Amino acid sequence: MEKPEMMQENLTRPWHERIDPVTKLLLIAVLTLLSFVLTNIFAEAALILATIFLLLFSGKLGSSMKALGFCAFMILTMLLIQGLFYPHNETLAFSLGAIAFYQEGLTYAALLGCRIIVIVLATNFFMRTTTISENAKYLENAGMKYKTVYLLMSVCYILPQMMQNLKKIQLAQRARGIGEQKSLIQKFKTILPILIPLVIKTLDQSMSRSISLQLRNFESKKRTVRALRRTYLMDKMFHRALGLTSIILIGCKVWMLINK
Amino acid sequence: MDKKTSSAPSIWRVNLTPAVIGLIPAAVGINYVAKAFAEGLKLPVWLGSLGTFLASMLAGPIPGAISGFINNVIYGLTLSPVSTVYALTSIGIGIAVGVLHAKGGFSSARKIFVSALIIALVSSVISTPLNVIFWGGQTGIAWGDSLFAVLVANHVPVFIASFVDEFVLDILDKVVVAYVACLIYKQIPKKMISYFKD
Amino acid sequence: MDANQQIVLDNLSVRYRGEDEEALKGISLTAKTGQIIGIIGNSRSGKTTLCDVLSGIIPNIVSSHVSGTVRLGEFSPFEAFDEYNFHTGVVLQNTAGQLSGLSDTVFDEIAFGLINQGMSEEEASKSVVRAACQMGLEDLLEQAPDTLSGGQTQRLAIASEIAFDPEFLIMDDPTSQMDPVGRKEFFEWLAGCSEKTIFIVSNEVDDLCEIADQLWVLEKGELIASGKPLDVINQVAEGHDLYLPVVYRMAKELGKKLPSGLFPVKLSELKGCFDDQN
Repeated sequence: MEKPEMMQENLTRPWHERIDPVTKLLLIAVLTLLSFVLTNIFAEAALILATIFLLLFSGKLGSSMKALGFCAFMILTMLLIQGLFYPHNETLAFSLGAIAFYQEGLTYAALLGCRIIVIVLATNFFMRTTTISENAKYLENAGMKYKTVYLLMSVCYILPQMMQNLKKIQLAQRARGIGEQKSLIQKFKTILPILIPLVIKTLDQSMSRSISLQLRNFESKKRTVRALRRTYLMDKMFHRALGLTSIILIGCKVWMLINK
Repeated sequence: MDKKTSSAPSIWRVNLTPAVIGLIPAAVGINYVAKAFAEGLKLPVWLGSLGTFLASMLAGPIPGAISGFINNVIYGLTLSPVSTVYALTSIGIGIAVGVLHAKGGFSSARKIFVSALIIALVSSVISTPLNVIFWGGQTGIAWGDSLFAVLVANHVPVFIASFVDEFVLDILDKVVVAYVACLIYKQIPKKMISYFKD
Repeated sequence: MDANQQIVLDNLSVRYRGEDEEALKGISLTAKTGQIIGIIGNSRSGKTTLCDVLSGIIPNIVSSHVSGTVRLGEFSPFEAFDEYNFHTGVVLQNTAGQLSGLSDTVFDEIAFGLINQGMSEEEASKSVVRAACQMGLEDLLEQAPDTLSGGQTQRLAIASEIAFDPEFLIMDDPTSQMDPVGRKEFFEWLAGCSEKTIFIVSNEVDDLCEIADQLWVLEKGELIASGKPLDVINQVAEGHDLYLPVVYRMAKELGKKLPSGLFPVKLSELKGCFDDQN
């Protein structure tokens, strides 16, 4: 009865929703490891291009670009510091007045920067194409104990809640002009009366929650494992293939380090 | 001697009780809020381990370490991907705080200071290799990195320069977090403390 | 009376660990099941502690020093807690903390407890819809729980508990964040719950007087009065710093007494006083 409906649903869903969350996680692992195995800047650039295509084809490129904002600054300072002071600096790349930038340092920083970008983009693919409840249902169906699934997922849920709390507080702070005080001690004196009650409230909430979870039998062995509303493309095969690739890549990296 | 052997198994329990399962998300949430506060007010510290500190103090080193670990993994998968690798540092902090707290390391202002130094050391020792692997040795905090740049420019080995960069920041951060955590801990209702202790 | 239709509290005392003073001091009571029992008192009078004992949270989940006995019909929280818990629904004071925190929709949240009990999805779905309708949440089933208002969250918490149709329902201040309309609807629903035994802590003394079969009044951990609202309110009106219902105060002001010599506490009773005179 259900099957034709499900199949039809699957055909109309975009491809990235037909890939299961664990495959996506393994994909992050493989891309990250690959970026560490590669030591050539052009190969890294190709890898970045590959992850960009991954995001492009899933229509999530735009939203992922914002995530690069934070690391962009770090990568710039890295280029600066390594370009100037990298211990193996020899070849002059260019100089701005009296300040000399060296090729070795710049390449090294660029390599590290590329790795960071690969990690950020690959993780963004996971972040933008999965939902928390989908992940929870998948893990539970895959046989993970509900207690553990609950733990992981409840952490995901608490972050947006805290963000909301925080926004309210920040508004109140701005209204009271906190943040304009210059001295550090003054800043602490003004944030502690806000931070402490918030922390205690959070702990109190967590106590209520854990009591309520017990009252609501969340550890019950009778719990119905809810059927997945989605089916996934060849998830077992992907897991094996990507898992194996990860192990091989780790092997490569170790071998490279030994032979260095 | 006797006391030690009898208290050892109790702080090292691994059991994920419902209390601990409730506490861990709270700890992660507190870490997040504290970190956001510090960033919003441009404080020269991270404060992002406040929740891990409290979880360790309330429930012991293992729940603390789990909080720290999950904190970084979930952060990594939702907010900033690279923070995942610092899960190792968070585990170290969770264990250190839990052990020190159980041994009375947070019982007086002077002891808190010493404990904070030990925790900063643990944190730096674990973070430094990660900083070198991922960021060429930097920490991402401007004045720490300036120090790093000066040291590297003067031919100090990268590992040592990076360690100094990290350790200086960690001392300041962990001292502040330790005192704030104790201040909060004192205000937690007894009922709650005994609930999470079990 | 059949022991299985009785609520018995016998010399119940509770002291939290690490505290010196008892939160509840030697509470003894009997009442019939199937009633609505309102629990009132000022803050720190022990209302929440009593709720926690009635729900079995103390001492099964929060360990405390407890003495005495508690029995709701054939069940006791001190004996077989799993069994007891199966027959009791509990709405905690901190409603936001009560939610599982893991549901995408109101529907999933109400279903959480049912799924945990091993109910099939189909069966659970029916119960969810039934409970949602009772709490007026039928239009919000697909909404995310964290988008609800405080009052709606409280209704969600209640719906989640009545979904598995418990015999006993214990609610700690379940209307504190509801708007006047929502509160009125809630008390109307409550008045219509004839087959359940309901314990409700509330500051809405006016509403409780209208619908409760019994009122229990706590003060500093001691039970100072229990019985029909009319008797209880008249008994505690003097000498205790308690909120008194508007009807009572009005009747007293106007000097309107019931034939029994007591001041009325319900609107219908007050009306009766006027009708008698005319």
